Amino acid sequence: MYLVADINVEICAAKSCKLCTQYCPEANTIQYSEEMGKDKGFKYGSAYVAVDRCKGCAQCVWVCDNMAKNNAIKMIMIDQLPLAAITDNITYGDKSTTAVLVSPSV
Amino acid sequence: MSLDYVKFSNGFERFMPKEYRDMVEHGPFGKKVSVSQMGSFKEILEEHPMCAGCAMTLFIRLAMIAVPNPEDTIMVGTAGCGRLAISQAAIPFVYGNYGDQNGVASGLSRGLRLRFGDKPKDVVVMAGDGGTADIGFQQVLHSWFRKERFTTIMLDNEVYGNTGGQESGMTSRGAVLKMAPLGKKFEKMDMLQMAKVAGCAYVATVVPNNPRRVESVIKKAVLIAREVGSTYIQAYTSCNIEYAIPTDKVMEDAKNVENDRYQFTEYVSEEAKQYLAERYGYKEFLPKPAAPAGAIPNKA
Repeated sequence: MYLVADINVEICAAKSCKLCTQYCPEANTIQYSEEMGKDKGFKYGSAYVAVDRCKGCAQCVWVCDNMAKNNAIKMIMIDQLPLAAITDNITYGDKSTTAVLVSPSV
Repeated sequence: MSLDYVKFSNGFERFMPKEYRDMVEHGPFGKKVSVSQMGSFKEILEEHPMCAGCAMTLFIRLAMIAVPNPEDTIMVGTAGCGRLAISQAAIPFVYGNYGDQNGVASGLSRGLRLRFGDKPKDVVVMAGDGGTADIGFQQVLHSWFRKERFTTIMLDNEVYGNTGGQESGMTSRGAVLKMAPLGKKFEKMDMLQMAKVAGCAYVATVVPNNPRRVESVIKKAVLIAREVGSTYIQAYTSCNIEYAIPTDKVMEDAKNVENDRYQFTEYVSEEAKQYLAERYGYKEFLPKPAAPAGAIPNKA
């Protein structure tokens, strides 16, 4: 098993600083979805992780904790995630993406 | 070298992988995208084999977003870590032999101008500190003296990271590395000063812990290189393997190094300032209106 980043939607959708999307070294790994937060009644959308692309470096954790000071990202073993986004289930819109969450079991 | 080259051939769309379809339909080609939109569009860069948490990867990712016209850009690189990611992108990549990259880019840039005339076609060289300051040094400097119109970006990780950690010309004095156990005895090369002496129109240092600045610097450098002359960007992109930086501390290290020896500096020649202001509306480079003679500053 290996670690991947997991973003707490409740904290992220309240702040929506999008810093993690800009600091992740991997392309299209931390994505942004308007629906993910707004559908649950939060003010903004939320960032989420495409776990099949995450290499587990935890740079986003440092950025979220120290630069944004939101503490919304934790590293978690992939088999501990019941549902997660993967690249095949992400669709792009005009200004945001939509992800259908599935079990990331490998 | 146009928007057409990323489109599907008729009938092939359903056979293409999802990533390719996303790139054609939701990629940055033909649109203006910025770092603030990251995570909302399909990026030019794809998955690549570079190490987890590599700052160089982050810089390359930002650079791919920053180039003003990705559909009219060619990247040139050479041996080193960087090409592992630069080649995994929807921008044509030319691999120069070690040290050749600025010679290859000179020919390419001249050829494109002959073929396409005034239509801007950008050539961007992205190579490591070894490729730029050591092995490719002669060709780099000569391309600058000839005022070849393309951008040279040095991915400065201050070590030969790909071959086990030998010291390079850009390694700081005293740095102890796996293949340089006694510590480097000489100072880090001052490539910025050399670029200015050689006549580069734009010279900047940048650290990837400020994505907006990386974007702005690369945009300016590419635009200036279209008409004015050579441009040079030196980017600190730490090697977390050879310098033993924990991956989650890479940005902390970038911040510390930025405060220590990699402060943001930007040199823009007068001709380049005028070009950016007149052609692309950069307000910061517009000539300031002279104060009328005898005017008293209003302190009220």
